[in-house]
Amino acid sequence: MMNLILGMDMGVFIAWIGTLLATVLCIVYGLYYQFIKKSEKKQQPESSKEKKKKQEEEL
Amino acid sequence: MDIWFFIITMALFAGVFIFLGYLGYRKTKTAEDYFVAGRTMGAVLIAFSYGATFISAVALIGFSGIASVYGHSILWLAFLNVFVGIFIAFVFYGLRTRKMGLSLKAMTLPELLGNRFNSVKLQQVSGLIIGVFMVAYTSAVFLAIASLFQVTFGIPYWICVVVFTLIVGVYIIFGGLYAVMYTHAVQAIVMLVGMIILTVGIYAMLGGIGPAHEAAAALTPEMLQSIGSPAATQAPNGLTSMPPFLSMPFMMILTLIFGVGIGVLAQPQLITRYLTAKDDKALRRAVPYGGIFILLMTFTAFSIGPLCNVLMYQNNIMYPVKETAGAMVANPDAVVPTIINQLFPSWFILIFLFAILAAAMSTAAALFHTAGAAIGRDVYEKSSKKQVSPEKSIFITRIATFVIVIATLIITLNPLDVVAYMTAFFFGLMACTFLAPYTLMLYWKKTNRFGVWVGMLGGFIFTMAWYILIYFKTAPKIIGAPLIGDYVINMLDPIFIGLPLSFLLTILFSILRKQDKEEETLMKKSFENI
Repeated sequence: MMNLILGMDMGVFIAWIGTLLATVLCIVYGLYYQFIKKSEKKQQPESSKEKKKKQEEEL
Repeated sequence: MDIWFFIITMALFAGVFIFLGYLGYRKTKTAEDYFVAGRTMGAVLIAFSYGATFISAVALIGFSGIASVYGHSILWLAFLNVFVGIFIAFVFYGLRTRKMGLSLKAMTLPELLGNRFNSVKLQQVSGLIIGVFMVAYTSAVFLAIASLFQVTFGIPYWICVVVFTLIVGVYIIFGGLYAVMYTHAVQAIVMLVGMIILTVGIYAMLGGIGPAHEAAAALTPEMLQSIGSPAATQAPNGLTSMPPFLSMPFMMILTLIFGVGIGVLAQPQLITRYLTAKDDKALRRAVPYGGIFILLMTFTAFSIGPLCNVLMYQNNIMYPVKETAGAMVANPDAVVPTIINQLFPSWFILIFLFAILAAAMSTAAALFHTAGAAIGRDVYEKSSKKQVSPEKSIFITRIATFVIVIATLIITLNPLDVVAYMTAFFFGLMACTFLAPYTLMLYWKKTNRFGVWVGMLGGFIFTMAWYILIYFKTAPKIIGAPLIGDYVINMLDPIFIGLPLSFLLTILFSILRKQDKEEETLMKKSFENI
């Protein structure tokens, strides 16, 4: 008799637990960017023209 | 069930979608509104829209049925759906696609390729490939749902096809991507409710996760044979075990999980969702919502499929069959509907049917929109030498979408055998054609127009040849018998060879010929915010 975990063999169990862990990874990733990594460098990509314009304004 | 109750509920369902289509119509002022919902979408809407587009009725009913034949080994596909289909897709493709799309002012995948490599022809050819094959794929989605409703309610097939196609057609043509994404939110909720109740119900009937899986593992081939289940021969090691390495069931699982599991990365209708994000944060925050949604769709659907055999055995229900070429053969697509009809209360039958209808409509709406944009914006509009105004661009795409809706209607009303197989090979075809150029475009600055042309067409031609000449599902329908008789080869999804080949060709021909000045300027522009 094969060893079963929660009624599944090892190959199936890895897929089963792997799916749950992949979902946990997605949740942790979302939580990290929601609560821990507060600021991102840039929200909107800027064109080089816009960058230049900003630099000129700052000067 | 009272057919009038169904008709009234269906009318309400359609009314909600038409209303959301109207809201989308009112919000659509510019081409950017119509094609990428004004690039204003937040995390929840992106995640729900991505999930509802990804998961079709075929994924829920068809793959549950396949799981009832091959067992829980198909859970590897659920793993890839979450890990590759959400995590890898959003983190490694979504963020860069959005940034590059903004830099290059692109609103579709063909436009992204065309603008990045300074080639209108590239945009047109990729738009044509997407438009043509998407019509057949959309037709397959409607075919599946209309057949289900015909069997369940006895409504003639043609009425189902006309009603479903027209409802989706109306709100998509007028409301654009705003309408698609608003309706996706509603449809995703209906899908979630249906799948959660179904899964909890089945596990509760079998005493919980452990006992349910143990009951499935305890089913011997003789027991499965007694209910007429094909799992008796197709799950040789049992329903909760992996099939023997390189056996036919193993090859079947392998081809399914990689074709769909990896192919998801290059689906034009999903790539559009990245371009709708209002900022990077919205895409990052969509990851957990998307992960949970896909978990509750595919993980549940693939888990309950094998358990249906236990329920059928315990309740003396025979495995459903259908007539094919004068013989009665097992019908995996009818497994979940049979269990629901026999063992669930009638109120749930209605909820489940609407969940399946929502899954079909949401996928079809996204396909109509992407195909309409491909033919209208990428092919037709680009063939005009004059600059097209945003209003005219929307008008052209609305007309193209209308033509696609009508074409889909005609094909679905007169389905060819090959249409039914579109769901099986659409993902693989898109992956072999676009994944290599798309990935390298995002990550390798030396990728050039020449390499992309060769990689894209090489992948496309190889995949078509594989499906016509070798693939076990399609070749017998087209040329009578696969050219290669060995099942280890002819059961392989073309993605195993076509994708590496496409990568190789793109890299090799990009190295052979250098970028010209214009290409180099565009490359710098596209990477300046990454």
